[in-house]
Amino acid sequence: MADHDIPYLEERKLIKRWQGPWPVLANMVLTLSIFAVTWWIFQDPRGIMRFYTPYVGYNYCRWWLVILIWMAYIFDFWPFKRSWIRNAHPLQKGLVLSLVSVGIMIMMIHGFFEGILGNFAFAYFSPHQLQKLPGLTEFYSTEYAAQACMMFAVIASWISPAWIVALEGRPWQDQGQPVRGFSIWLGTFCLSLVIYFMTMHNHMGILYYPWQYFTAITPPYWESFAQTVSANFHVAWIMCCTVVVWFMEGIWERYPFCLIKRPWLRRFSLFFGIIVISVSLCFFFWYMQELVWGDAIRGHKRDAAPDWRWLHVGETAIFFLVPALFLQFYCGNWPNKFSTPVNILIRTFLVILGGITVYCLYYQYAHLVLGTQKGFSHPQQFPMIPMIWLINIWLINWWFMDGWPGWKRELRTSEDIATDEHAFAAKSAWTPAMLPGLVVGILAGVILYFAIVAALPWFSAHFTLVQ
Amino acid sequence: MDRREFIKGAALGVGVGAIGAMGAYSYSPMRRAFLKDVKRGTADIGVCKAVKITNISETSWFDNGIFMQDVTGAGGLLVDQYTFNWPPFGNGKGIGKGNYADGMKLIKHLLPNKLEEAWKIVSEKSVHADNAGGFSCLVEIENMDGKVTKYLFDTGWNYLWMDTCYKREGIDTMLANNEIAAMIQTHEHMDHYFGLPAVTKYNPNIHIYTPNTFYPNGKQYLKDCGHVGKWTEVPKGLHKIQDGVALYGFDCPIIFNVFGEISMYCNVKDIGLVSITGCCHQGIILFADTAYKTIAYENDQFYGLYGGLHISPFDDWDPKYDDLVIGLKKWDLQRVGCNHCTGLITAQKFVDAGYPVVKGTARFRSKTTNYLGNGDVIKFPS
Repeated sequence: MADHDIPYLEERKLIKRWQGPWPVLANMVLTLSIFAVTWWIFQDPRGIMRFYTPYVGYNYCRWWLVILIWMAYIFDFWPFKRSWIRNAHPLQKGLVLSLVSVGIMIMMIHGFFEGILGNFAFAYFSPHQLQKLPGLTEFYSTEYAAQACMMFAVIASWISPAWIVALEGRPWQDQGQPVRGFSIWLGTFCLSLVIYFMTMHNHMGILYYPWQYFTAITPPYWESFAQTVSANFHVAWIMCCTVVVWFMEGIWERYPFCLIKRPWLRRFSLFFGIIVISVSLCFFFWYMQELVWGDAIRGHKRDAAPDWRWLHVGETAIFFLVPALFLQFYCGNWPNKFSTPVNILIRTFLVILGGITVYCLYYQYAHLVLGTQKGFSHPQQFPMIPMIWLINIWLINWWFMDGWPGWKRELRTSEDIATDEHAFAAKSAWTPAMLPGLVVGILAGVILYFAIVAALPWFSAHFTLVQ
Repeated sequence: MDRREFIKGAALGVGVGAIGAMGAYSYSPMRRAFLKDVKRGTADIGVCKAVKITNISETSWFDNGIFMQDVTGAGGLLVDQYTFNWPPFGNGKGIGKGNYADGMKLIKHLLPNKLEEAWKIVSEKSVHADNAGGFSCLVEIENMDGKVTKYLFDTGWNYLWMDTCYKREGIDTMLANNEIAAMIQTHEHMDHYFGLPAVTKYNPNIHIYTPNTFYPNGKQYLKDCGHVGKWTEVPKGLHKIQDGVALYGFDCPIIFNVFGEISMYCNVKDIGLVSITGCCHQGIILFADTAYKTIAYENDQFYGLYGGLHISPFDDWDPKYDDLVIGLKKWDLQRVGCNHCTGLITAQKFVDAGYPVVKGTARFRSKTTNYLGNGDVIKFPS
């Protein structure tokens, strides 16, 4: 493989500029300042543009994430020349690529979804078309259209990286850009569209009275299983997929699926493994809420509403993505000195602690700084918006700006990459001697799970997060 | 045994075991072993003989399109209501650029007695002042000995509209004659609270109950409207106010940066529980479920309700509202006196689903006969 065929994110080696915690602190000051300023300008309900209506801001937020993934992961920064990507100053790159990503985002939302799909296929993507419905106001027309568009982004933000992470960009990995990019983009876009029809379209069909029986299957097939007709049930597990895909890429290093030697078996196992792990997490996050708040009650409007609880599953998952990306980007995916399974277990434990911390901090203090309302179950409030907004800024900092100012970029050759992969394979290799430990570990994992389940009601009784 | 390999295997196993257990157990029927069974409530609030509710006004705003235009202009559903430049706190700077102090400064010297003069200024300085209406109702509790106690629920929004409505129903006289025992201010929303001077004008000494979650502006408004009587801040939970009647405080975050709401439970002899709400932002199912877990009531029957149910107040819709329409069936309600923020679509869905919705007369600018309109009366038992 020639060096220019190596994706830019793979050929990079980011080195700390200074010893100690200064690089992390410098990047946190920069990214959190950008977060504060942009949040105030674009999202904050007390700020300037106030996109957090909520769905308008949520839509922009989710789509921006998807575009960043497309640019860096799928198109490998095409159409920008590799020489420019390698040599331009990080600030210049960050600014140019961010502006381009915002431009594409606006084009996708207002051009493709509203303009084309909304006017020629599905009325619910277009605020203008929705306003033709008697009694529907401009505000809710905009909200409904933004919600529909955002729901597509929810799916795309899982499928797009999953194609690269799990399917390794197959079958187009040997094509040059833009053929590879457009092929993967079209593949993931079509797959996202199919999943959208099967998970979200039914939800939109219920927005009207009477239900649109002839254009969407209503009531939807998940009603009895999920205790709700809302597509938030799908938002729950799909959001978990979005999070798990990045766990796999980052803190889990695609382990243990990387042990599978047969390529297509490995790829499909990883693709569906992400789904299985996500559904497991999804059910667990649901169960946590039952243990803490009691049974879900259909028709409830607050923290016992099934639709809100499924939504909160997705929100909870996102709270854990923040520390996972922080650990991967700004802490060098610490630790790295042990065997891969041990490294991963320690990282996972740190991410769990970090996620719980972010969750608690958000519900205790977010309303004081984000202009939101305190409490868990505000029907029009989505913690995912600030979390993903922050993640977007970190992605720009790490992917577009090469970790500037705390990090500087060096390049790896294909030989360097091969050496690193070999070292990783040695640390990760499966041996029959691991089997007794595996059996004991599985037993310990099950015991740990039940210990958490037993402890949650006690914690709930003794700690109140929102006064 | 190789210790290093054992630890490697164990580390992998912990993840596999924990995630496997999550997937296999967390949503299976077996999970109920760790969930507490719901216990039936036993709190005794006594009984009353009958409840009569007069709808003074349920039309919080008259044109939903104009109202939502304001919401769009200000920046959505999470914007603080005091910054909208809605009446009576208009400062002339336009939508989304208002604040309590600026608006109050212009009218404070006129409150509570010169409402027309105050509203003239408000109309000039606020956005769409004439679109404001208000929610308010009169609750009359007949005790077991036949004595009737009156409570005023909320104070509406538009000073002049509320004053007109109060005169229409004779509330002005009742207030002036101290016939109303207390005013229940259910929550801080503009359409329930900003019309307060229309009450204090007639009786500044009236005992007022509010949730204990009012913001500083809301608390200041009580004073600025000339209220000098007793003020009880109701915390979360059950608070009996007389035999058969209790308030319940709910800590819930609400749109337009409001927090907390109180609603009323009435245990009516021989028929069951009657609930009265302002907006019921906590949700009618939570309201019913809380009663079930807290109070012992007649016949174990959640009999009826009156008030806004805050389902589709802006004629919007969401599948979760269908969950509510479907989920309400299990409570076997006998009489539903809904209106206001229940929403026109919801009322239609309730009627179509066969709920015992009490029809109204659609008078005094109420929009539909599908629910109890302005000037209509509902009684429990009927």
